[in-house]
Amino acid sequence: MQDFKNKLYNYETPPPEGTWDHIEEVLNNQKAIKILGYHKNKFLFYGATAAASIIIIFLGSVFFKKNTHSAISKASVEKENQLIGQKIIDSINLNRRILNSIINNPNEKEEIISDDSILRDTPSKYLTITNPDGQPVRISPKVATLIISADNEYPPKPVWGKEIRKWQKIMLNTTISPTSANFADLVQLAANKENRE
Amino acid sequence: MQRLLYDRFSSMMYAVCLRYCNNPEDANDLMQEGFIKVYKSLSKFRAEGSFEGWVRRIFINTSIEDFRKKVKLYNVSEVPENTIEEGDLSALDVLAAKDILNIINELPPGYKVVFNMHVIEGYSHKEIAKILGITEGTSKSQLARAKGFLKKILETRFSKTGEK
Repeated sequence: MQDFKNKLYNYETPPPEGTWDHIEEVLNNQKAIKILGYHKNKFLFYGATAAASIIIIFLGSVFFKKNTHSAISKASVEKENQLIGQKIIDSINLNRRILNSIINNPNEKEEIISDDSILRDTPSKYLTITNPDGQPVRISPKVATLIISADNEYPPKPVWGKEIRKWQKIMLNTTISPTSANFADLVQLAANKENRE
Repeated sequence: MQRLLYDRFSSMMYAVCLRYCNNPEDANDLMQEGFIKVYKSLSKFRAEGSFEGWVRRIFINTSIEDFRKKVKLYNVSEVPENTIEEGDLSALDVLAAKDILNIINELPPGYKVVFNMHVIEGYSHKEIAKILGITEGTSKSQLARAKGFLKKILETRFSKTGEK
């Protein structure tokens, strides 16, 4: 058995002619592919680098613009806040002027303010007016201004709408001429007086 | 250098390829594939064994890969390996290598590859099972059947020779 094994193991027979030519051809093609592959990789590398640079520049510009935009937005918000603050201050000042005008009007003072002690204690906080039923009602100047100024142009918050409409009805449902019972007229008068001055 | 290597080993490796495939065309394809692998893998040669053995191993692996692509071996019921005694194949010893090769090439592909790997190359059944993806039992069974097949071929050949 060993004999035939050795014979087969060591058996040699020449391959057909042209075998080497095929191998050589394949080897040469593979070299060409390898060179092409190197160049391809080189171009791929440069292409990827360029693409990455463009992306970085783009992202950088977007980030810069965003920061600039956010700075501008911040400035506008601050400006808006200042305007709102100014509006609030103006509103409070107007309320005070109206209140002072009402309090300093000697003709209507006694009729409007029925409770002097309240006036003395908190002279700038509350007014006591007579409602259409003849009952005294305490009301703050801010609320009074809010009630009077609430219209379609500056509608109140929905949750307040019902109450404010009710009070507007109460205030306006007396007479057309200004009276001490018609608080809306008083406010209007005070405002007119302020404008005349 | 590539040409030198080819000139040195081509005849030997072509014989290896012929043992594992069925025709010279397939053997030629294996030659090309095997030599290209050798050239590509030269840097991996660690000089731990003979260079010839390393080259041969590449060609055997290439041949087995090709065999596995073309032939699917299924696990079969075991047949005791030594059903056919090696002495029954002693008739092969008197034949020339080329004739032995021709007889072995008459074996069915599954038998031939296991016979080549175990008997000629010296792989164990465990190694063959791992390489071919079969069980050791199947490897043993294939070998036993290959021997049986060879015995029949030899009996037929020699009986005809004797009759003449």
